[in-house]
Amino acid sequence: MLFSVLIYSSEDFIDALTPEEHALLLKKHGAFHDHTKTNRTFAAAAKLMSTGTAMTVTKDSDDFVVTDGPFAETKEQFMGFYLIDCANLDDAIEAVKLLPLDHGRIEIRPIEFFEGAEFKNAERVVIDAS
Amino acid sequence: MPSAWLSTHLRAARPRVIAALNRAFGDIDLAEDAFQEASLRALRAWRPEALPGDPVAWLIVAGRNAGIDAIRRKSRETLSPPDEIEPAFDGPHPEELLSETLDQAVYRDDILRLLFTCCHPVLRRDQQIALALKVVAGLSVDEIARAFLVQPKTMEQRITRAKKRLRAARLSYEEPDGPGRAQRLSAVANAVYLVFNEGYSASQGPELIRETLCEEAIRLARLLVRLFPEEPELRGLLALCLIQHSRRRARLTGCGRAVTLEDQDRTLWERIPIAEGTILLEAALRAGRPGPLQIEAAIAATHARAATYEATDWHEIDRLYHALEHIRPSPVVALNRAVVQAKLDGIPAALARLDHLSTPLARYAGYHTVRGSFLAELGRAREAQEAYETGLELAGTEVERAFIRGKLGEIGA
Repeated sequence: MLFSVLIYSSEDFIDALTPEEHALLLKKHGAFHDHTKTNRTFAAAAKLMSTGTAMTVTKDSDDFVVTDGPFAETKEQFMGFYLIDCANLDDAIEAVKLLPLDHGRIEIRPIEFFEGAEFKNAERVVIDAS
Repeated sequence: MPSAWLSTHLRAARPRVIAALNRAFGDIDLAEDAFQEASLRALRAWRPEALPGDPVAWLIVAGRNAGIDAIRRKSRETLSPPDEIEPAFDGPHPEELLSETLDQAVYRDDILRLLFTCCHPVLRRDQQIALALKVVAGLSVDEIARAFLVQPKTMEQRITRAKKRLRAARLSYEEPDGPGRAQRLSAVANAVYLVFNEGYSASQGPELIRETLCEEAIRLARLLVRLFPEEPELRGLLALCLIQHSRRRARLTGCGRAVTLEDQDRTLWERIPIAEGTILLEAALRAGRPGPLQIEAAIAATHARAATYEATDWHEIDRLYHALEHIRPSPVVALNRAVVQAKLDGIPAALARLDHLSTPLARYAGYHTVRGSFLAELGRAREAQEAYETGLELAGTEVERAFIRGKLGEIGA
């Protein structure tokens, strides 16, 4: 089963982290990477840019409306996600426990359908996992 | 959660809480004291495993109570009847605050009010920077003093004087209308850029870059963009700061010498902030309301795009400087444009353009350095030496002086 691991946190909080605290966060993500790569459940990782970069597209009767900013103003923001290919939900939950959970929350949602492709315009951000 | 993280929560909440308290009390000092007291109460009351659901709202209520207590105490000390001293709240009552703080529109107004006050035009630039760092970012006086290389006592005085000046000006804060709001945001954006720039090219002292200032400016810019994503100049501000900051590792040699764009090792430029800055700029420009920070960001982005110095799109940069001269004319912009035009039209033409700038930039080291380099290129070593020497006298930082001495060395002077 393919699971998405959706990470929510507060950007105000992330911006306020000291370098040491930031290193601690990265260490936990590293542990998650190591665990899922060792047991071959790792499928993908994506860290989103700040919500300041977001645009929202809606439709007003027949016109498309492009609004600056994220869809919803919330106290917590969607920060990024992992995809993990686990045998069952228990394994997914065990892996997620390695991630930083001192602040924010993490949602596990199974993937119904997934399709990947080669990247053409993303060379700046894509890290080759192979 | 390690208890140290409580202080991170306080740091994260600070701008919004101080902004709300500043509105409630109409006084920055009182807001800061109330925040301080609320923070102490939080450190006693909060448990790592049971933080309040909304720390910001918790701190605002606690801070308001602390502030009201302080006002009552003061009124008893001065023996005045309390009702005369009671502050004229223009905000809602504390019990309404919890639900109200969920409203982003209120946050937006409060933050704008706080920042606009700290960066008010009645204050000198150095006062604006100091106040924004102290009040909004929450840096200690010692930290700010260190960043500016002055004694803590001097910085304390600078901040006290700034607050005094604000009080003396008796600013009445009126909620701005649409265009007024954009104008204030642009004033605030400029002040945040001043903070960044003071860190990016320190005007005095032995170091060129002071990272604390750059990082705090970026944090403020991020907060502003989060609150006002529809304001393109704020996205331009963040884009500019991110792209400039991405080059910091390449701007100095191991021994602290400045490296010009031409000689920087571009592999040291950080690609993630460049990518974020570039997309922020693209989003900003869609609004069709270009401002000086967006144009400066576009110049920075054009440099960042070039794989090598030789591959720089100088025509694009010249167009951008031309636009900048139109929106915000200044002799320094004209000087920068002359450097670009030297690439396009040759050095003699660019040198001729510098003549117009000799009076307004007479005391600006950068002018003499550029002029010196033009003259050196033309083989007029004696005049180049004179220009460099004038620049050397006017340079404010040791890094700048070392750079000019290097230039003098190149022409064998």
